[in-house]
Amino acid sequence: MGDQLENQLREERARRQLTQAQLAELVGVSRKTINTVENGIFVPSTILALRLAKALGTTVESLFRLR
Amino acid sequence: MDSHDEIEIADRISRRRVLGTVLAALAFLGVQIVARPVFRSDGYGASGWRAYAWPFNASLLLLLLLPIGGYVWGRRVRALVNDEVSRNNSRVATAAAFWLAMFMALVVYVLPPSVGLTAREAAYLVVTPTSGFALLAFAWLESRALRDG
Repeated sequence: MGDQLENQLREERARRQLTQAQLAELVGVSRKTINTVENGIFVPSTILALRLAKALGTTVESLFRLR
Repeated sequence: MDSHDEIEIADRISRRRVLGTVLAALAFLGVQIVARPVFRSDGYGASGWRAYAWPFNASLLLLLLLPIGGYVWGRRVRALVNDEVSRNNSRVATAAAFWLAMFMALVVYVLPPSVGLTAREAAYLVVTPTSGFALLAFAWLESRALRDG
C-alpha cells in the first residue's frame, strides 16, 4: 500500500485542446471534478475514470498509473 | 438549457455555496462566542422557544453538509453541484468533525464536577464547535476543489 496515483489528464486534455469546462461537458461532470482529478486532489471512482478515458478516446491505463 | 450552461451554473452555485457556508458558520460561531447565550438565564438556557433556537440553528447548518436542497436548479445542475467531489468533501469534513466531537465530549467528561454543567450545556459545548468546524472544513475543501489551476 502507500501507492500514489499519477494521472496524465491535463496533458491528454491539452493535447485535444479542450478546456476543463469542455471536458467536463463531454464527461457529464462538473469542472470542479476535472480540476481536482488533474491536480491529484481527488482520486476518481472507477466509473469516472472509465468515462474520462472514453471522452478522451484513450484507456484508463494511459490516463492513470501508480507511482 | 444545454450542458455547457449547466456546468457554468453549477460552478457559480458551488462558489456561492462556499461563501454562504463560511458566512453561515462564522455568524453561528460569532453569536456563540460573543453572546454565549446557552450559559445565560435569559438565553438558550431559558425555557420556552429561546431554548430551541440554538439546536434549530445548528440543525439547519448541518443540513448544508448533506447533498440535499437546490430543487429549483433542476436535477442535472443539482447532480453537478453535489458531484463525487462534493460528496467526498462532505464525508471528509464530517469524519474530521466526528473526531473533534469525540475530543470535546471527553473534555466535557473530565471537567471537575464543581463546574456543574447541565446536560444542555454539555451538548452545546460538543455540538457548537463541531458543527462550525464541519462547515468550515467543508467550505475549505470545496474552495480548494474550485480553485483554478
